[in-house]
Amino acid sequence: MKKITQQKEFGIGLVVIILGVILTVMSPAFFTTGNILDILKANSVLGILAVGMTLVIITGGIDNSVAAMTAAVTVVISKLVVVMGSGTLSLLTVFVIAILVGACFGLINGILIAVTKIPPIVTSLGTMTIISGITLYISNGEYVNSSMLPAKFIAFADYKIGGVSILIFIFLITAIFTWFLLKYLTVGRDILSFGGNPTSAMRVGINTTKVQIFVYTYMGLLAGIAGIVQTAYNKGVDPNGFSGFELTVIAAVVLGGANIMGGSGSILGTLLGTLLLGIMQNGLILAKINTFWQEVFVGLIILIAVSYEVLKRKREEMKLSKVEIEV
Amino acid sequence: MLKLSNLKLSKEWILVVVLAVLFIFMSIFAPGFTDSYNLTNMLFQIPELGILSLGMMAVIITAGIDLSITYLAALIGVIIATCLTSGMPIGLSIIIGVITALAGGLINGFFVAYIGVSPILVTLGTMTFFKGVVTLITKGNSISGFPEVYGAIGNNAILGIPLPLILFGAVALIAWYLLNKTVWGRNVYMTGNNPIATMFSGINTKRVLIYVYLFSALMAAVAAIIMTSRYNSAKVDLGSSYLMQSLAVAVLGGANISGGYGKVIGIVLATAIFQVLSSGLNLIGISSMIINILIGVVLLSVLMINFFSSKWESVGKQKTI
Amino acid sequence: MRKKIVPILGTALLSLGLLAGCGAGKDKEATATNSEDGIKIAVVPKLVGIPYFNASEEGVKKAGKDLGVDVIYTGPTQADAAQQVKVIEDLIAKKVDVIAVAPNDPAALTPVLKKAKAQGIKILDWDTKADESVVDLSVQQIDNEEYGRHMADLLVKAMGKEKGNVAVVTGGLSANNLNTWIDWSMKQIKDKYPNIKIIGEKIGTDEKQQVAYQKTLDLLKANPDLDGILAYSTVAPLGSAQAIQEKKLQDKVSLIGVALPTDSKPFLEDGSLDTATLWNPINLGYLTVAAAKALAEGKTIKDGQDIPNIGKVEVDGKTIILGPPSDFTKENAGDFNF
Repeated sequence: MKKITQQKEFGIGLVVIILGVILTVMSPAFFTTGNILDILKANSVLGILAVGMTLVIITGGIDNSVAAMTAAVTVVISKLVVVMGSGTLSLLTVFVIAILVGACFGLINGILIAVTKIPPIVTSLGTMTIISGITLYISNGEYVNSSMLPAKFIAFADYKIGGVSILIFIFLITAIFTWFLLKYLTVGRDILSFGGNPTSAMRVGINTTKVQIFVYTYMGLLAGIAGIVQTAYNKGVDPNGFSGFELTVIAAVVLGGANIMGGSGSILGTLLGTLLLGIMQNGLILAKINTFWQEVFVGLIILIAVSYEVLKRKREEMKLSKVEIEV
Repeated sequence: MLKLSNLKLSKEWILVVVLAVLFIFMSIFAPGFTDSYNLTNMLFQIPELGILSLGMMAVIITAGIDLSITYLAALIGVIIATCLTSGMPIGLSIIIGVITALAGGLINGFFVAYIGVSPILVTLGTMTFFKGVVTLITKGNSISGFPEVYGAIGNNAILGIPLPLILFGAVALIAWYLLNKTVWGRNVYMTGNNPIATMFSGINTKRVLIYVYLFSALMAAVAAIIMTSRYNSAKVDLGSSYLMQSLAVAVLGGANISGGYGKVIGIVLATAIFQVLSSGLNLIGISSMIINILIGVVLLSVLMINFFSSKWESVGKQKTI
Repeated sequence: MRKKIVPILGTALLSLGLLAGCGAGKDKEATATNSEDGIKIAVVPKLVGIPYFNASEEGVKKAGKDLGVDVIYTGPTQADAAQQVKVIEDLIAKKVDVIAVAPNDPAALTPVLKKAKAQGIKILDWDTKADESVVDLSVQQIDNEEYGRHMADLLVKAMGKEKGNVAVVTGGLSANNLNTWIDWSMKQIKDKYPNIKIIGEKIGTDEKQQVAYQKTLDLLKANPDLDGILAYSTVAPLGSAQAIQEKKLQDKVSLIGVALPTDSKPFLEDGSLDTATLWNPINLGYLTVAAAKALAEGKTIKDGQDIPNIGKVEVDGKTIILGPPSDFTKENAGDFNF
């Protein structure tokens, strides 16, 4: 038991469970398979982006351009599916291109950040403005609806495995793969050590430029995947649909306990953070909370959750230093 | 030649050059750009963004960020508007607005300084919170119908100088004085450079931080007064587009996002660059989407120029060594 | 010392290079204009880059060509009143003859419109009313009261009964015209259908389809006894319809929304959206320019006058009304091009 409470995801996990229990009591519709699957599906895009953002934040960086990249990819998809026809092969080609486009955006971010050493928050602010401006200019904000998408794509969007939407699987596979990458691959360890202390990471021979470029490219790649999932979820494309979404993504990651200064963060925590935001949105309506109070609550919960995290970290540090003195 | 060699290639000088080039370009290519009407116009438009950016800059100097600044301004605006429309005198309404600002700043400062949460997270939370409170108060509607006199603050001019601009000038001077001539100002820069060393040198960094967030909240208050007066209305999303802009202006103005650097004059110049760019391009008749793209490009370009020029400088220094 | 000059030159060159790109944009803009000394009409939407205002842009451009006037269609990229004021101030500097604006926040525009008036510029509002005391003419798609009540009637018709539970989904809690329609719809329900119960407060969806989709899903789960949904804004009905479609509740939950026929066609076809109701935004743009031209030339448009390409319009004092809304159903949705 003690072991569980010492896990760093414990705090956020506890918040999720408490909120879940409250909502189950308040609304019979909350704790049902259908609703849980709805929450997961609705937050697949958020989850995929948050997983990528976790890596970025571990390196002490941040990527403001995620929402813009995802929106750009959805527009690229909408333009491509019309041209490519509706075969399975051409659909796969579209997906590959979408992911590559995302990765290219990420690569640009990565190169700018790693080479020029301009702080990521600013670099990605610049690329965000440029990417979203171009997206809006090219698409003129026009929607694409399901009747314009090929039947194969709609079939993909509706595809279920054992009653669970394929979008949820894409989300989970992305998360598991990234978790594996962070824990077992060299590049994952490089990311963690770079985030912990860039200077010493450089001294032990880690190519820090490569690590940074990798992290942002990976983020872009996931934005590409998120773009596919979003198009499938919406069965349509709204080029404006993502404005401001980057802040939600960042919130999900830091609620999950990642340190915004870099060095720490976990995929499990991020998943819980995503879940917390998803449950809040879902539960506020299920529990029939007055619309006008909703944002007040969301703001308060964010404040409480991040404060809790920091206070806990502080207490642990204090304990550690005490031990040292006793020794 | 002597002049050129004295010319230090500081971030601020680069901004002066960019501003001059843009101004000349617009004078030639944007029809009506140099008309007195347009020039006055631009002077009316600069202050809101400039004042918010000053608040943003102060926070950035301490290695923080204030995402809540525009919604705090909206909250202050709505509070003032509510007071005004319920018949309170203007002075009292403004005082209540300022108290709201201080309360908002205190919340931000408390979480950042005493709890120790990263500024980006605190202000992300308070941003949503303030927005929620405004929506709750107004039910999403706008509040309008203020006394004529109140409208003068944002719309009148003295000797041809717009009142908001005078306010901006005064606020900028005060900010310059506070940051450069007071102990607090020195501490702000020190905290941004190295918070731990600053703490160990006996400075109460918590108090310094609280005051920084109070300062940015006060900037939000001044901006809110100008906006509500100029637009004769207050609403939840009034000025919400200033958030990313003020961040961009602060950074363009040379503020170092990792803390420790930022100058008032840089903010003034950067705001002017934004204004010239957006007004000029509007006059030429360029789509506002393209204007957004160009602002992003200018932001990145100036940052890269800063980067390369400092690199060249250090290369030069190494050679002389 | 040379090293210090290079970056300065670099800066200058870069800025120029940047602006060279704008030159190209300028040429493109020039082709849209017709005459040098003709009437210049500026039409300002709430924001650019959304389908509704793109459609009205089409009408504005077409009218410019047909009527031989210069038209400028420009607006902010976000529905923020502060940005809209700046756009108008720049248009005053550009010395246009008429400004027609769809205000994000009517009161916020009053000072700048007064300023424009002082410069001799004629003021029109369109789509949403501005402060009545500053406008010379008002072009409205519809009578707000009539429209709000009409939506409630449509819903009752679709539900097939005058009782039940109804929820309201809206694009943005702070959207002025949406709130006006909602208020009128609520009034109609209260006056005429007292057995219909409104569930909760209106639900805001940030003008985003996926948000409307999620929130409607939640709404359906939270209220299994829901009979109807009224969706306001051109985005919200699409998300709501998607949710009804996914949960296969087409026959149980009726949905009436403000939507463009092309966007809503797939949902109309399978009944997840019962009726979409809207005016023709292309015609609205066209009528705005026609009215602006008449205003600039000192002519007045009379009640029942036939406007070429538009048809007869209603005139009530300073207000020109495009006409009753069109209802789009699965039978006729394919006939429209907006």
